Amino acid sequence: MPVMTFIEAIRSALHDAMAADDRVMVLGEDVAVKGGVFLATEGLLARFGEHRVIDMPIAECGIVGAAIGASLHGLLPVAEIQFADYIYPAIDQILNEAARFRYRSNGDWSCPIVVRAPCGAGIHGALYHSQSVERLFTSTPGIKVVVPSTPFDAKGLLIAAIHDPDPVIFFEHKQLYRSVRGDVPEGIYREPIGKAAVRRSGSDMSVFSYGLMVHHSLTAAEELAAEGVDVEVIDLRTLAPLDRDAILASVKKTGRALIVHEDVLTGGIGGEIAALIAEHAFEYLDAPVRRLASPDLFATPFADPLEEYFMLNPQKIAAAMRDLARY
Amino acid sequence: MEANDTPPHVRLGLSRQRLIAGLRTMIASRETDDRLWLLNRQGRAHFVVTAAGHEATQLGCAWAIRVGHDYVVPYYRDMTLVMALGQSVLDILLHAMARRDDPSSGGRQMFGHYSSRRLRIVSGSSSVGSHLVHAAGLGLAFRARGEQGIAVMGLFGEGATAEGAWHEGMTIAGIHQLPVVFVCENNQYSISVPLHREVPVPDVAMKAAGYGMQGVVVDGNDVFAVYEAAHQAMERARNGGGPTLLECKTYRLRPHSSADDDRKYRSREEVESWRARDPIKRFEHYLVEHGIITNEEIEALRREVRAEVDAATDAAVAAPYPPVESIADHLYG
Repeated sequence: MPVMTFIEAIRSALHDAMAADDRVMVLGEDVAVKGGVFLATEGLLARFGEHRVIDMPIAECGIVGAAIGASLHGLLPVAEIQFADYIYPAIDQILNEAARFRYRSNGDWSCPIVVRAPCGAGIHGALYHSQSVERLFTSTPGIKVVVPSTPFDAKGLLIAAIHDPDPVIFFEHKQLYRSVRGDVPEGIYREPIGKAAVRRSGSDMSVFSYGLMVHHSLTAAEELAAEGVDVEVIDLRTLAPLDRDAILASVKKTGRALIVHEDVLTGGIGGEIAALIAEHAFEYLDAPVRRLASPDLFATPFADPLEEYFMLNPQKIAAAMRDLARY
Repeated sequence: MEANDTPPHVRLGLSRQRLIAGLRTMIASRETDDRLWLLNRQGRAHFVVTAAGHEATQLGCAWAIRVGHDYVVPYYRDMTLVMALGQSVLDILLHAMARRDDPSSGGRQMFGHYSSRRLRIVSGSSSVGSHLVHAAGLGLAFRARGEQGIAVMGLFGEGATAEGAWHEGMTIAGIHQLPVVFVCENNQYSISVPLHREVPVPDVAMKAAGYGMQGVVVDGNDVFAVYEAAHQAMERARNGGGPTLLECKTYRLRPHSSADDDRKYRSREEVESWRARDPIKRFEHYLVEHGIITNEEIEALRREVRAEVDAATDAAVAAPYPPVESIADHLYG
């Protein structure tokens, strides 16, 4: 099985999905001739032509809106928002339009689009090239929110998203693009949307995370293992719909829960997970539920020391794990 | 006068049958509009958004559409249009009264949000202008599929032309020369704000130049002028000639909606002057003058339509609401 980086897995998913189904199309800024600013769409134009791989003007509402329109005629469009930071002009299209097409037409229409958006900090992207915005999309029904952490999942979940009957917002952490590698099968395969994955089985506490923070949590968990604390790391993979069963099963087993995400603390998905545990697993808890998240700022500032302070890392996560283990 | 004095319906190849069916649709739309305001006053229809005054614009556009083949991306004022495309008086009343069998939304959307996948009428939100990017996207879809001979008509009021989504839809359609006809039903007010405070140029159609497409202005109360321009634009789109911005100048004869009082922003003299130019009366006059129909036949038609509206009202009032258990149906596929 080939070993791929995360970005190669995304590219492989797009190539294979487009080759397997001529309803799949890709549209976004710089996606065709340039192959995307991160090269996620490299090679698609030469292979599939300008009618299926479309360079769009700088018009995020138009990119997502055009994807919606194309989906109404039976296509499976994959729209790229160049950075998650620029998704705001498309929010009306995502939340007011794509999410509601099926509901508002009583099941007559549907809108099977994917909106891919690179997200996350730690690459000196400052206020407008490093945001985590998933919290803006997890409280509206009708859409699904997927955040993969491994190359294998990136491909399998993206292919599943393309064929999902509902709109899927697909966040890709930029720091993962070239920093993680893994086995990725050739050809089409799908990972299930809405299912979490146990990345490290453990008995002393549950850590719920997604995206880049899964890797940092796993590093921290190894540190804790050396100290005699057995940490279970759950990769949520999908934030909407949340895999409630997996969350509750894990916390009932370990009795302790730490939620780790790069999105900000207030309004981040961690609050929802904490409430879920409080409502349905309170009697199983040996300690209060803890959240570790980015500070309540817009994104990381540009200055190096501020970015370092802003970002979560394995040391900070290990400290939070120790604190929770000691409770 | 031009040398060609052939009557427009002859020149445009509109049969007697089609003309009378069109008149019936116009009358049915106005009578349904009347009924909706009554039902609103009775507390039976929570909201009415009027189509009165726009009938010629919408019928002329409907005639240019190949029903169930071309896509239509309408807005909330397009009742005459969707009736001409195949929604019945009962369909409209079921929608207005939020009944289970409302074909547009099953009782979920406020009145005026017409939809039918069968008729290729695309569901819309209330977010003004947000639908024109969908029209552009449909054009991209035809191209991706290699389909020719198909077009999209997207309709909106002039107020929508200030929206970012409208600009982005026009931009994309212009860049790719997509088969989309953008129809502006310019009734000169966005609720209360007059044209000169919502559009910076005298004609909305002038905006077309900035998007690489033709802009056309027609008298929106002249059904033949609208049809001719809409037909040409749709044919051009179907044949690979790119998009058009078609501006139909008209006037709404009633307040924006049942929640509006237009006396605050329009003089009665202005409204009356447009009432004298009522597009339905104008069409009737033309048909009588050209021997297509008699006044007696029009009255018979009106009585027939009223009976249909009465029967549809009874049926809609008696129709069931959607069951509460269905409230979360169709959130996901």
